[in-house]
Amino acid sequence: MRRTSVKVVVAGGFGTGKTTLVGSVSEIPPLTTEEVLTEASVGVDDLDGIETKTSTTVALDFGRITINSDVVLYLFGTPGQDRFWFMWDELAQGAVGAIVLVDTRRLSTSFAAIDFFERRGIPFVAAVNMFYGECPYEEIEIREALKLKPGIPLLWCDARDRASGKAALVTLVEHALAQLPAPV
Amino acid sequence: MTDDVWYGDDDDAGRLVPLYVLVNGRTTPRNTGLDLATQVIALPADTFTLEPEYTRILDRCGDWISIAEIAAYLDRPLTVTKVLVDILLERRYLAIGQPAQHTIGDRLLLETLLEGLQKL
Repeated sequence: MRRTSVKVVVAGGFGTGKTTLVGSVSEIPPLTTEEVLTEASVGVDDLDGIETKTSTTVALDFGRITINSDVVLYLFGTPGQDRFWFMWDELAQGAVGAIVLVDTRRLSTSFAAIDFFERRGIPFVAAVNMFYGECPYEEIEIREALKLKPGIPLLWCDARDRASGKAALVTLVEHALAQLPAPV
Repeated sequence: MTDDVWYGDDDDAGRLVPLYVLVNGRTTPRNTGLDLATQVIALPADTFTLEPEYTRILDRCGDWISIAEIAAYLDRPLTVTKVLVDILLERRYLAIGQPAQHTIGDRLLLETLLEGLQKL
């Protein structure tokens, strides 16, 4: 097997625990890389009051897990702000799938991510991050609120916990495998 | 300004050749398959004539490493790193692994991945 990179995207609204999850399962401390947007690409930004600003920096956190001597998994957290869609496209291209983190106090912050992966047919699982240990809602209520399609896995996780992050990854890869056409 | 001393370790202040000259004005990689997760490795080559910007990258590529990691370690924007790596690939200073885009729908790879994750 040739040296191969595999990507998993960790998405969700601002403050849902993306970087925490990446950090808890990564074998290296999460790294940050930046993409600098110049004037032309920040047209959609509201620049009122900061007219002198000619570039914006999008930070991207990521981690890695060495699967074996040939395969390395990279986990990329999406930039928190929804307007950086072009970054999402690059991240999602060729990705095995995505974990969409959900904060039950602010479900709506994860709508955009769910919509994004659904439209592109990219396998994803929804992971409810249990910030305070308990989740006051039933699975069916959350599914309903997120408008999750029946086949999409929904799981509970603690983004700070390695085993929990690992379980989310396993569920995602199993889901991605199930999406493949049956072997002939 | 007696305390305004330059210690000579500031990367940007010390740059004699601007980046856009180094990359010959190239703004996007010619190899469009280059992804931020694509891994590269240094090939044995004489780097004597290379600009420091390139040798700094090669120094990081003793073992397989992704473009995103190179960008993070060298504190360069992703696009710039991609272009620099692209040029090093063209000049055969670097070899390239399998880009993530080629792995979609690869059942064997997904099974390998699953097995690896379960063993963690």
